[in-house]
Amino acid sequence: MLAIDTSAATSVAILRGDAVLAEVNTAGAMMHVESIGTAIAQALALAGLKGKDVQAVVVGRGPAPFTGLRVGLAAGTVFAQAVGAQLFGVASLDALAWSALQDPEVLDQVSPRTPLLITADARRSEVYWALYSGLSAQGVALRSDMPAVNKPAALDDLLIDRNIEAVRVRLREASDLTSLAAVPIGTALGRVAQAQLAEQTLSQDTSPLYLRAPDAVLPKPHARYGKAEFSKPVIASEVGK
Amino acid sequence: MNSVYVGEIGLRPATEVDLAAIMAVEHQCFASDAWSEANMHLELVSHHTFYWVATAQVDDGPERVVAYAGLSKVAGSEQSDVQTIAVEPDFRSRGLGRQLMNRLVAEARQLGASEMFLEVRADNPVAQSLYESLDFVAIDRRRGYYQPDGVDAVVMRAQLEPINSQPVVLGIESSCDETGVGIVRGTTLLANVISSSMQEHARFGGVVPEIAARAHLEALQPTIHEALAEAGLTFDDLDAIAVTNGPGLSGALMVGVGAAKALAAALDKPIYAVNHLVGHVGVDILERGELETPTIALLVSGGHTSLLLVNDLLDDVVLLGETIDDAAGEAFDKIARIMGLKYPGGPEIDRVAASGDPKAVRFPRGLTLPKDMAKHRYDFSFSGLKTAVARHIEVTENNQQAALSDEQTSDIAASFREAVVDVLVGKALAACLDHNVPRLLLGGGVTANARLRAVAAERCAANGIELRVPAFKLCTDNGAMIAALGAQLIMRGRAASGLDFGTDSTLPVTTVQS
Repeated sequence: MLAIDTSAATSVAILRGDAVLAEVNTAGAMMHVESIGTAIAQALALAGLKGKDVQAVVVGRGPAPFTGLRVGLAAGTVFAQAVGAQLFGVASLDALAWSALQDPEVLDQVSPRTPLLITADARRSEVYWALYSGLSAQGVALRSDMPAVNKPAALDDLLIDRNIEAVRVRLREASDLTSLAAVPIGTALGRVAQAQLAEQTLSQDTSPLYLRAPDAVLPKPHARYGKAEFSKPVIASEVGK
Repeated sequence: MNSVYVGEIGLRPATEVDLAAIMAVEHQCFASDAWSEANMHLELVSHHTFYWVATAQVDDGPERVVAYAGLSKVAGSEQSDVQTIAVEPDFRSRGLGRQLMNRLVAEARQLGASEMFLEVRADNPVAQSLYESLDFVAIDRRRGYYQPDGVDAVVMRAQLEPINSQPVVLGIESSCDETGVGIVRGTTLLANVISSSMQEHARFGGVVPEIAARAHLEALQPTIHEALAEAGLTFDDLDAIAVTNGPGLSGALMVGVGAAKALAAALDKPIYAVNHLVGHVGVDILERGELETPTIALLVSGGHTSLLLVNDLLDDVVLLGETIDDAAGEAFDKIARIMGLKYPGGPEIDRVAASGDPKAVRFPRGLTLPKDMAKHRYDFSFSGLKTAVARHIEVTENNQQAALSDEQTSDIAASFREAVVDVLVGKALAACLDHNVPRLLLGGGVTANARLRAVAAERCAANGIELRVPAFKLCTDNGAMIAALGAQLIMRGRAASGLDFGTDSTLPVTTVQS
């Protein structure tokens, strides 16, 4: 199974059963498009595999900054297409939660009442976040709700409102794969996918978790320089569609 | 390292004219064993040698030769030799030596060589490792070959792959709002599938980069699938992948490049990163089997308005001018909005203008006044025209205290279109006449404009200039043109791009391959 995640840096792993055959991680959260090809090729070489040997591809769906996230999704999708592999998607936050819960101390503290809070940098001084109540029997991090994006202060208020005392682990720096756990996110993604496959919850949905609409404002009707307004309603039929 | 400012570095074949400049580099690089000028002259003019120079602009000075390399290949022989290679000290560690060596390898392969030999100083490990990375292997040692220093020469050899003259290439284009996947075999078009997100941008009145990028991600897999089906091929039939890496919208380009790299890695095939604008020029090959050069190319779309002089598709493309504000297609979109017409504006204005009088209003022709022509002879500007049209509509409506009549709208649309077309064709013709180039090639989505084609045809005919307008599906952004350009690179023996290249939203036309 080839796992590709570009929610932070570029992280690629190849797993077979319990064995991690290859792990390639690049530093920096801005160089996805430069590193993705080499990362995949290196992982294949390290694992001693050809593309055709890959039977399943799992991609990290974020949520994450869009531009980098799409590089990994595009690569994973087309790789699977080219070699005829099955294609799966896992939320990148789920992989981070899985990583965090590998720490017995963290796992001990986490319960449905005191869930684990996982956050990731969403830029614009916001964070992507999700809550996890523990691990399933197969070892899948149990997410209580869909991931969301908020300002940290708003997130705090929200948790207080819901009377949740969350277990927090250190905020993940976008460029730092090691801040959360020793397991790189590509590998963690693969582990989660394997566990979900075993419990038959692995999804073929690989659509990106954007959580934000594109930044685009509908144009106002053309502003006239003069005082008079004679025109028929400008693109009235189009506005507000 | 050096502190000089270096502009873009270009490679071109050397001629006799470069002799003095080459000798200047030769003396800088080989203090004790430089060749004589007479010898170098013979090298440059000989029929079995092929020399390339790298040129750069330093500070504000003129472009000058900063490196060169020469190849020897006797007709009929399967062997070729690197005669010499030299890079000025200030320009080392920039990959110039590698670029020149790749060029010599390409030349040798084109000339049918199956082996390439070179000698390198035994005390130059940097050069040796460069050659090793280009698949040269040490096969011999010549004692005291370099005199007067008494240094040994290491003889190295590379086996050259024969050129694939009919490569099957899949090209991916994602620089704007069109996801294009094309497949060619050599110069033959096998598939050209385009998925456009244009309708999603319609309500915003222009391309929204984030929407375009999202649409590319969704469209890629099905578009690739359809292209293979159209060509009747499978992934295994592909010899190489080509992809646009600029110019264009960064976020959009990255989707195509990410996918193309994964494809190359999955299939273990070479990848060629190519220039979108040069792709527009090269597409003529798919209709004619070759690109006749030199040609002037006028590329007009929603994102570009560029005038190019193309002496050689791969080695000599010069940007004569481009728009200094809006692209022509953008101007059509904006005027359409002002006039209450739909997006995209080009076809709408064409429709409304059909019954209008192009001479009804004399709108300004941007950058055509003598003072502008001195500085911006081949550049375009449409923002002044846009303002003039808006002002005209406003004044007219104020004066008549009523909205424009249909007739007035038609006249304004026709007059606006005439002003755009007049400048586009006028400047393109000036470029043809100034450079004594008897042909003009149109490309880009705006070539769909009926009036542009009519005026270009009429004025080209009057000036004895041959006009080429590829089929519309090859004029708009498409993957076939990218595949065609990739195939040209392969057919001329060029090395693949490797997997580390990035995207460049302002990639210059002089960089045909990254």
